[in-house]
Amino acid sequence: MSEEIQDDWLDRKLQEAVPYIEDDGFTARVLRQLPQPVQRHEYLRSFILVGMSAFASALTYVLSDGGRFILVEMFRLTTIPTIWVAAFALASGMLVMAGGIFAAMYKTNQVQS
Amino acid sequence: MELTDVDLIARVLAEDDQHAFGELVRRHQSSVRGLLRQLTRGDVALADDLAQDAFVRAYKNIRNFRGEAKFSTWLYRIAYNCFREDARKRKELVGINAEQWQAEPDPQTVDPGLRHDLMHALSLLPLHERSAVLLCCQNGLSHDEASRVLDTPLGTVKTNVLRGREKLKKTLAAWAQ
Repeated sequence: MSEEIQDDWLDRKLQEAVPYIEDDGFTARVLRQLPQPVQRHEYLRSFILVGMSAFASALTYVLSDGGRFILVEMFRLTTIPTIWVAAFALASGMLVMAGGIFAAMYKTNQVQS
Repeated sequence: MELTDVDLIARVLAEDDQHAFGELVRRHQSSVRGLLRQLTRGDVALADDLAQDAFVRAYKNIRNFRGEAKFSTWLYRIAYNCFREDARKRKELVGINAEQWQAEPDPQTVDPGLRHDLMHALSLLPLHERSAVLLCCQNGLSHDEASRVLDTPLGTVKTNVLRGREKLKKTLAAWAQ
């Protein structure tokens, strides 16, 4: 018997020598030993986030004299030349698109690996 | 559609989904327990204890699984480490349990006599050769994957497989005629 055939024969016999082992409750025993899943307080996180946002908004409103700065800034925006606004919108769009492409490429690499 | 290992791992990571992990255990229990039975030279009870330990460790450390290798390769590595730690604790490797080998005949293909001789020949190999042969020849891992599992240089794994194979062929020469 040639070397290669002998190797194949041996590999085949080695694979055949170990039959499929039935589960017979093994998985259940493993699952019983797993640590309890960590309880996630999602509602608490939401409550804190909403509460902090509301508090920050109220504080800003009071400190900024009823949000007067927004009116001032909006008035200032109307004085900017149209070409500048268009350039700003274009640059923002390209920035967001680049971010999207980068994220998609990153995700694709992750899935492929 | 059946979920892939990667899908199941993603569920475990995202939701601590123990049912998803249970499915992973069901899929891989036979190969992991089989490998450990061979490494422990047929000590079924010890092998199953080590396999349980390996799966629990896998669950606890699943965030460290980066998907660079197959999930089964990662599991084999954990199982092999469990075996090594246990062997180190016991200071000596367990002896062959011929009765247990005979108690699990494979009715489909292998002659019981050949199976017994094969297992006996395997048990006589030094651990480094036996592990390499089991992973590469029996479980179908590439040399590269086996070197990751065993944490051994690739060249050493190749040498160990070659030497182990030669010894097995020599011992089983009569069967191969």
